[in-house]
Amino acid sequence: MTSTPTSERLFDAAFLTKLDRLALVTKQVVAGALQGERRSPKRGASVEFADFKPYVAGDDFRQIDWNLYARMERFFLKLFVAEEELTVHLLVDTSRSMDWGQPNKLLYAKRAAGAMGYLALSKLDRVTLTAFGQERELKLPPQRSKRGVVPLFSFLTDIQPGTATHFAAVCKRYAQTARNAGPLLLCSDLMDEEWQAGLQALLSRRFEITLLHILAPQELNPQLEGDVRLLDAEGGASVDLTADLDLIRRYQRSLESWREEVGTYCTGRGINYIPIDTSYPIEDLLLNLLRQRGIVR
Amino acid sequence: MGFLAPLAFGLALLVPVIVAMYLLKLRREEQTVSSTFLWQRMVRDVEANTPWQKLRRNILLLLQLLLLLALIAALARPYLLTTGITGNNLILIVDRSASMAATDAGGTRLAAAKHEALRLIDQLPDNGRATVIAVGGQMEVPASASSDRRELRQAIERLEIRNGGGSDLSQALALAGSLAAREFESEVAIISDGQVTIPDQATLPVPVQFFPIGSRADNVAISAFVLQPGQGGQTLFVQATNYGSAPVQRRMVVELDGALFNAYDFTLDPGQDRSIVADVPSTVRRATARLDGSDVLPLDDQAWATSGGTDKATVRIMTDGNRFLETAFSLLPGIQVTTVPTTTTTFTDTVALTVLDGVTPAPLPPGNLLFIGPLRSTELFSVTGALEFPASRPATGNEPLLRNVSVAEINVLRAAQLTKPVWARTVIDSDGGPMLLAGEQSGRRIGVLGFALQNSDLPLQIAFPVLMANLVGYLAPGQGSDAAQLQPGQPLVVPVPPDATRVTVTNPAGNVAELTPQNNQAVYGDTDALGVYTISIERPNADPLARATAVNLQNAGESRVAPRKQLSLFQAGGRVVTTAEERAGRSEFWRWLAWIALGVLIVEWLVYQRSALAWLRERWFTNRRGAPRRAGT
Repeated sequence: MTSTPTSERLFDAAFLTKLDRLALVTKQVVAGALQGERRSPKRGASVEFADFKPYVAGDDFRQIDWNLYARMERFFLKLFVAEEELTVHLLVDTSRSMDWGQPNKLLYAKRAAGAMGYLALSKLDRVTLTAFGQERELKLPPQRSKRGVVPLFSFLTDIQPGTATHFAAVCKRYAQTARNAGPLLLCSDLMDEEWQAGLQALLSRRFEITLLHILAPQELNPQLEGDVRLLDAEGGASVDLTADLDLIRRYQRSLESWREEVGTYCTGRGINYIPIDTSYPIEDLLLNLLRQRGIVR
Repeated sequence: MGFLAPLAFGLALLVPVIVAMYLLKLRREEQTVSSTFLWQRMVRDVEANTPWQKLRRNILLLLQLLLLLALIAALARPYLLTTGITGNNLILIVDRSASMAATDAGGTRLAAAKHEALRLIDQLPDNGRATVIAVGGQMEVPASASSDRRELRQAIERLEIRNGGGSDLSQALALAGSLAAREFESEVAIISDGQVTIPDQATLPVPVQFFPIGSRADNVAISAFVLQPGQGGQTLFVQATNYGSAPVQRRMVVELDGALFNAYDFTLDPGQDRSIVADVPSTVRRATARLDGSDVLPLDDQAWATSGGTDKATVRIMTDGNRFLETAFSLLPGIQVTTVPTTTTTFTDTVALTVLDGVTPAPLPPGNLLFIGPLRSTELFSVTGALEFPASRPATGNEPLLRNVSVAEINVLRAAQLTKPVWARTVIDSDGGPMLLAGEQSGRRIGVLGFALQNSDLPLQIAFPVLMANLVGYLAPGQGSDAAQLQPGQPLVVPVPPDATRVTVTNPAGNVAELTPQNNQAVYGDTDALGVYTISIERPNADPLARATAVNLQNAGESRVAPRKQLSLFQAGGRVVTTAEERAGRSEFWRWLAWIALGVLIVEWLVYQRSALAWLRERWFTNRRGAPRRAGT
């Protein structure tokens, strides 16, 4: 299957224009899992009053409300609503199985991650991106504000398809090392025996996981005929088949049941499961599908 | 089993070629997919459910090998040794007489005979020819020296039972002999139950195979059934005969004009008969007798009888005084005798029959004639001399005129030497020439008895009145109670008044035929079906005359259904018993193998195209459901 050369511009002008328009459209409404400016249950420094609290030794005496002391002759702290920034975690599977399909799955994953990152950055959230698939994961240091868009995009552009996924190990390590939990977008094709273990590892932290399950149209509806030997792009065992329509139908049924299995697993654990094939326009994904699913409001 | 072309097995060398080509071809096309994870998952599912997956992959190879093997086997022309024929020119003699209607051969014997005949046709070599001769009733040749299998098959399929006429093989064997003599590698096959008449002098120059049909012999028949005028009413006479080989208990039901009259239970030993005589009212027009229960031959389990007319036929005897003749004729029922002297030359009144006792008047009297001991030739036959002490014997075949007549005991002192004219058939034969001739010439029936009664001991024998009765029944037909009974196939002769306007016959199936009277009589020939034939004669200014004649299968030769396993035939070189022998035939079956090969080829093609077929099937179902179903998301 022809793979799109990775040299193809990841974010061409047309896409960036679309993205800008998206950012405009979503300016007031982006919320939910990826919302950046939002109230925090913690009290912090901002201009919005929240509450009073009696002073106890060790409190920041700069926050004592002197006007209240004048009236009550007791120390009270004036508390303000904290505006907490969120860390949006973007995980992109760059294993070789992702670099396949027409349109390319990896490209799609990059664009989806880039778009989500762009939206998050434009809301002043922290964005961290991890590409796994190589021997070691590639990490983009946390970025803030629109200034982070350039490093994010150049980082995404530079990602090369790796070799094989050790999905479960990667997820486990990520869950252990992530500084603080938050919304997490996982773009993968889950072509790994251990996809359940990986998701389980991520669930151990309080990530709000959205799983973008990316498959190519050629995987959903393979065009095979006659005696073929299927070679694994990641170097796995090859499969000999005599393909006919009957076999394709059985494959499709098997695929469907697998997707259902993943979907059931995810919904049972509060993971947003979004099965997508790469022929689906990414604008529609961001504007319609994610909105329907409540990830973008 | 053997092979006619074993060299074809050399083609088996193609088997390794196919296998090698298959192995070479089976370098699978390699395709890279994102991950074989899903495929392995599916294969696991599939292999858990279908253990034949491995075989499925090689099914094309297996089918191709099977196709090749079937083709090779067909080309080797295998054959089986069967009972059958080996010749190139087959002459099939198929018996279709009434006894072949017996139902002991899985269906009727005729059906089994047809099947056998078709099998023999199939055994013919490709350029072989066959002639089909149907025996029973009038001999027919529905297919003559034909190599067209379809025509032969149709000819055989069209054969039907003939109730009348017995089953005389002499004509068929004579024809078969002359046909076989013309062709090289001829062979005669007789398919029959063996209840046939075989001529003594039949000699066939070619091999004869006899294929016996039938297995059982149990048959009870109504062998006689008559309704005759009697004292103050009518007398019903019915006789049942057990032709089988085991005692049988049966019930006979007699109906008069459709109403039940009586039922008789009886037990019959083998060969025994049981007669019942009953007085019935004179108003009864029609009686039916039926044997309940079943036996091999159902045709003779039912009989009909009709009340004969009361009008008498006039027989004119031209004699110088012959007590035997006058007595015999005067005793016959329904006959009125007038005697005229031999000097009479003009005949004014029309009579049914004129008996010419030793005279041959110069202009012959009109109407039907019976010559007894003619001294001179006439325009109808020639007398070429005299025979001294001829030994008489019945003619071959089932001659109705010799019913109940024993000819062998007749001693004759001197007889006229007759030459058989074309119109006549020989009834009684002798070494020197025919003794009794009968036949029809230009609408009149003629009988010629070669000897004068006083020159033989015939008048002293029981055969005499019976023979006279038979002769009168034939020569003066349609008169008296005799006219109420016919053998199947015998022509129904109706005396017609001169003023009749329309004569119709309704056969048992209800079909009406109109007859054209000629010489004051009308003849209806299609009397093969059993049952009652109704004759209606319309006259101006009078009620139509209605008569009925029953046609019954009262033929001991056909009712005796015991099949014979072998036939005795004179063949060139002495009396030879011919019977179907194992090994005689060779039946090739390469056609079946070729069909199998074709079937395998079709299956192979279907398997090869199964994707397209599955696609078509899916399209079909989708179209029928109306809503196209998209695969994928």
